[in-house]
Amino acid sequence: MTIVTGKAEARRRLQSGRSGVLWKMWEHRADYAYVLPAIAVMLIVIAYPIYYTIELSFFKTPPGLQLRDKIYVGFDNYTNILTSPVFWKVTWNTMIWTLASTFISFVLGFGSALALHRDFIGRGVLRAILIIPWVISAVAASYIWKWIYHSDFGVIGAVLVGLGLADRPPNFIDNVSTVLPSLIVVNIWREFPFAMIMMMAGLQTVPEQLLSAAKVDGASAWQRFWHVTFPHLSSVSTVTILLLAVANFNSFIIPWIMTGGGPSNASHIWITHIYELAFGRQLWGVASAYSVLLFLILMTLGYFYVRALSGNERKEGSA
Amino acid sequence: MTRITLGGAVLRGTVSAALVVSLMSASALGAPPVDLSKWSPEYVRSIAGTQDFDTAADCGKVTPLDYKGRLTFWYQGVFEGDPDLLRQYYKEFFETFRKTYPNIQLEEQALTYNDLLDKFRTALLGNAAPMAVRLQILGGTEFAAKGYLQPLKPEDVGYSTEDFWPGAMKAVTWDGVTYGIPTNNETMAFIWNADIFKRAGLDPDKAPATWDDVVKYSKQIHDKLGISGYGLVARKNAGNTPYRFMPQLWAYGGGVFDEATANPTYKEVELNSPQSKAALQASYDMYVRDKSVPVSALTNQQADNQPLFLAGQLGMMVSHPSDYNVMLDLQKKATGTDKDKAQTVIDNMRYGLIPTGPDGKRAVVFGGSNIHILKPEYVEGGKVDEPAAKAIICMWTSPEWSLKMAYAGSNPGNLNGFKTKWMKERLDSIKFLDVTTSMLPYGIPFPALPQSPEIMNIIVPDMLQNALTGAMTVDQAADDAAEKVKSLVEGKL
Repeated sequence: MTIVTGKAEARRRLQSGRSGVLWKMWEHRADYAYVLPAIAVMLIVIAYPIYYTIELSFFKTPPGLQLRDKIYVGFDNYTNILTSPVFWKVTWNTMIWTLASTFISFVLGFGSALALHRDFIGRGVLRAILIIPWVISAVAASYIWKWIYHSDFGVIGAVLVGLGLADRPPNFIDNVSTVLPSLIVVNIWREFPFAMIMMMAGLQTVPEQLLSAAKVDGASAWQRFWHVTFPHLSSVSTVTILLLAVANFNSFIIPWIMTGGGPSNASHIWITHIYELAFGRQLWGVASAYSVLLFLILMTLGYFYVRALSGNERKEGSA
Repeated sequence: MTRITLGGAVLRGTVSAALVVSLMSASALGAPPVDLSKWSPEYVRSIAGTQDFDTAADCGKVTPLDYKGRLTFWYQGVFEGDPDLLRQYYKEFFETFRKTYPNIQLEEQALTYNDLLDKFRTALLGNAAPMAVRLQILGGTEFAAKGYLQPLKPEDVGYSTEDFWPGAMKAVTWDGVTYGIPTNNETMAFIWNADIFKRAGLDPDKAPATWDDVVKYSKQIHDKLGISGYGLVARKNAGNTPYRFMPQLWAYGGGVFDEATANPTYKEVELNSPQSKAALQASYDMYVRDKSVPVSALTNQQADNQPLFLAGQLGMMVSHPSDYNVMLDLQKKATGTDKDKAQTVIDNMRYGLIPTGPDGKRAVVFGGSNIHILKPEYVEGGKVDEPAAKAIICMWTSPEWSLKMAYAGSNPGNLNGFKTKWMKERLDSIKFLDVTTSMLPYGIPFPALPQSPEIMNIIVPDMLQNALTGAMTVDQAADDAAEKVKSLVEGKL
């Protein structure tokens, strides 16, 4: 009779577990071979640039020198960024831009999805119309909005002056106080259809039987929404919000085309400021340090995104 | 039909010998093909059409016409603010080049003024630059200082250094070596709408004499007619901003450094001098105090002022001679009553010299473009086809093409261009050309420093925006900008 101690059993299980993993990997060797080219490409186009950006963030790159003649400055770029008032102004802008755009786009998108989920005449047409802002080119939309907002002969200004509601056209994008909210409006206009589509897809998964049962049990419309619909949409909501947040952090086209970050840096967000530092001012080192900071934030968001997705999978798996 | 109204201003604008000399570097004091000391509208007319040139034959001596090769070439091309006439000449140039050199495989790429520097810098970082490039005047020094460009002087393509404006040669010289050849050189002029002047109670045929007058006129136009007086431009990262603000800055006696002097050293930063602050104050007075300029000045560029001017909603602006042709192009596209309104504006369009500062100093940016050849190690494929590059450079900088490619908006880089029959034709067909050629002797080149693009495209517009938005006072904005320039030049950033 063999006596197996708890310790020995644990070791045995671990070893068999390890060999099991290796065996599984061997069994799936063809699958790994299939994804190997993709991994190799990712290493070249993602991993190397990340490494190079981190490396560059420790160097100074004066305009009179080539990049290869860069000067090592340690953490100076990070110190300069974090002690620069412009950085904090741009960070504040980025937070407002991201939070306001994400939150309002989501709320509007969710509301539209709920409205369009109901059956009524013209629903298809309305759906198509509401998706337009999302499908048209961001560049074209930016130019159009620039003319709509134009401080001297914009459409809004002309209408307001024409109706006698204003003496002169309102100043939307040439004013440090109004420029960021004005750009956020454009961003929301462009993004809310994305949230709408995501939430409409989510609404399709809410079981009709549950809603009918709740109705039979006397639940009000709000109670049916809050206790049945909303819990079913929590996962898709999380993913939508995270995707919107990441997209907004990286949003470049609208602020760059409409204002170039101005006036007086009032509409610069991180990504446009990084672009200006790198390509306008050739401060590659400072821009790289900025990018590293942005990368860390986005990776954190990415982590939560993956966790949210995994949570969904687990829920679906256990269902 | 519009009559050219030069008046006393143009007479006073004939050669200022001191300023002409200021444009001359010691090396260029040779025998130019035209007499710069006689420069005046009359002189320009007298030399136009006096000499014939055979471009193909001249360039054939540099690169044989049957030469077989391949050339990649980027250039600052025509954009939305340029007249159709210029578009036509650009098209013709490349067609002619292909006919003249049928065995050179030319791969050209046009980029706008604002995009070219960014794209070119990025390409250089990846050793993917073109073999030859035509850059704005502001860019040459930066890339020469970084060692990206091959030495290239007019003699390498069959011309003489004296064939080009001495001030323009400064912009392609770094550390005593020449790295490029000017293709065109331009100076802007002052444009106003005589009808608006008349309705505002101003003399319709007289341009404001000083920048202080511009401030006064702008206010008077705005107060009486409710429209914008002067077309201020203060967008960041747009070439239009320094081209319009620097003449004002220099006229008041200010500058970024001492670039407006005869022998600049670029040692002391003068952006926060009392004179520079006075120039900034003038912009502040127009934008903030009087609200007499377009509100959109902070996000717009000159291309946005053009339709405003054509619509009769803008009284004055600083621009190229080409703006007359641009107005004609825009007028053709107008419909209904807008067409007639536009024609009225065109009929009332007047050109004059750019106003002076309080001390009578007149200045304008000596603008233009240069053409360069890259070093092979920075070029895609690691090879430069020098004969092919020299062939296109010879053609573009020839008297014929340096004039045609600048037909409506600029002036030939090659001074011999002024002697061609096309110059004569141009003087007859392009209105107000006399005025802009009269401004040439007042031209001041941007500082020949690698930091110039950042100073002109970022720091100076930032200074304007900081003052005009109230983010800083005029003093603070000037001090902040001066500090940024100092840090940049000292390599602190």
